[in-house]
Amino acid sequence: MRAARTAYPLTWRIMDALEGVAAAIWPARFRRATPYLMLLPAVLLVGLLVLGLIQIADASLRTLDTTTFQFSDDYSTANFRRALTEPLFLVVAQRSLVAALIVTAVTLVFAFPYAYLMVRTRSPGLRKFLLIALFLPFFIGQVVRAYGWLIILGNQGMVNEALGLVGVAPMRLIYNYPAVLFGLVQYMLPFAVLMLAPALTAIPEELEAAAGSLGANWVRTFIHVVLPLARPGFIGAGVVVLTLSLTDFAVPAILGGGSHDFIANAIYDQFFRTSDQGLGAMLALMLVALGSILVGLVFALFGAGTLAMGRSRV
Amino acid sequence: MSGSRSKSIVLWTLVTIALVTLSAPTIVVLGASFTGGNIITFPPDGLSLRWYARISQAADLRNAFLRTLQVATVCTMVAIPVGTLAGIALAKYAVRFEKTIQIYLLLPFTIPLIGSGIGLMLIFGNAGILGQLWPVGIACCVINLPFMIWAVTASATGLDPDLELAAANCGAPPLQVFFSVTLPAVMPGVITGSLLMFILALNEFLVSLLLVDARIVTLPVLIYNSIRSIITPDLAAISVVFIACSGVAVFLLDRLVGLDIFLKSK
Repeated sequence: MRAARTAYPLTWRIMDALEGVAAAIWPARFRRATPYLMLLPAVLLVGLLVLGLIQIADASLRTLDTTTFQFSDDYSTANFRRALTEPLFLVVAQRSLVAALIVTAVTLVFAFPYAYLMVRTRSPGLRKFLLIALFLPFFIGQVVRAYGWLIILGNQGMVNEALGLVGVAPMRLIYNYPAVLFGLVQYMLPFAVLMLAPALTAIPEELEAAAGSLGANWVRTFIHVVLPLARPGFIGAGVVVLTLSLTDFAVPAILGGGSHDFIANAIYDQFFRTSDQGLGAMLALMLVALGSILVGLVFALFGAGTLAMGRSRV
Repeated sequence: MSGSRSKSIVLWTLVTIALVTLSAPTIVVLGASFTGGNIITFPPDGLSLRWYARISQAADLRNAFLRTLQVATVCTMVAIPVGTLAGIALAKYAVRFEKTIQIYLLLPFTIPLIGSGIGLMLIFGNAGILGQLWPVGIACCVINLPFMIWAVTASATGLDPDLELAAANCGAPPLQVFFSVTLPAVMPGVITGSLLMFILALNEFLVSLLLVDARIVTLPVLIYNSIRSIITPDLAAISVVFIACSGVAVFLLDRLVGLDIFLKSK
């Protein structure tokens, strides 16, 4: 004798009801559209950023009337001209760009051996140690890390106190350009290593052994085998470090002490100090354009590297 | 690892410098939080827990921390369904305009944070929801969403589509296939992604700075505002909260999915 339908476990009945609802809203003939439905929430969420950019573009074309503190109703390109002609912004833009390039180069130089050792080491203990040493600072915010550097490098910081013990006069180690660069490299290292490591894992170790058995020393093996094959990793890491350091706010603000501002700090000041929202929005828009051009340039020249999402193409 | 002595020397020198640079701020903040003196000096004025006692009494710090937790929770709760569905869709199906959708979904990374933050500030301002906490959580979710999608696609590519077909062939309807086959297969990615989202939202500074006002200030913003005036050890003690959270996140990540997951090639 068959058990009554009510004897089914509750979970079955709930699942059946859900399946029924799902089938009613989304019949099987919609099956082909299912992936688009699954992508929809993410597309909408990211759409907030697009809306934001439109708002910024709108604000950037309105000029501030300094007598009434009202924004104009009609559009003009006055903010654009001001952004290009005021020497302050040129200095700031140049400072940020140069810093981003230096930081990218230095970060990659240190990230590569770190990632290489982490991937190639035979010792699981060492690998775990390197991973933990990488993730701990990665998960500690920029503000706390910059605060750590203030304690170490500040005018009454550890380094200066230690120098004082051996009779050396205190030096100014923070609130200068190298301090900002140093802080940025420290901030970027985990990003770079995490982008490089998968690319290095993909290189079979036998290739290095083969190069070695053919008489190449380790330097030549690196230059001719490992580095070229790790290119996707270098592209991914390079793009991430370049754009993140170009647009950083916290490190220049905390370690630069206000006198080594980057573009992001200049934008913030326009919004919250000068209250010229139009000019700030224009600068933000130009920074977005600059970042996109840089990323686009790298992708066009070298491909998306390890940044590609989705199905792996063989 | 094979190779000569000079190779190990060069590698280890660079790695040691990197290790010291990575760890120095954490160690110093930890050390400074236990100092006995009123200011941070080197060598320290003895050991004490007085700064921890001080911060546990401070209501503003505790409230700021609770608000930060709330932001991170909203962020993660939104990111899990949104990112998981998108990640599975990208990894499993041949979607039309796939390249375009991928580039679009990478927008949170390609638009500078200051741009995203100000854009969201303007939208939320127009919508009249600025000054509340949940929009900050949504904002943190948007700017870090690619991390979630990445984590899920990475584990979804390991899922054999035949398994889902087999389940369907045995009579499982679509939702059951999803919950009993697809979702468990991408679970490591979901866990990794949600941990990343939570910890990144916990630490998010710039977007928080733009979206909060004095009444709903989050902990990273509070620390930033206090750094400007004077360096006192109570700030170090609060910072240890973040170090502890980071430690817990690393531990959980290692226990639940293994840190090695980040070394896997796609």
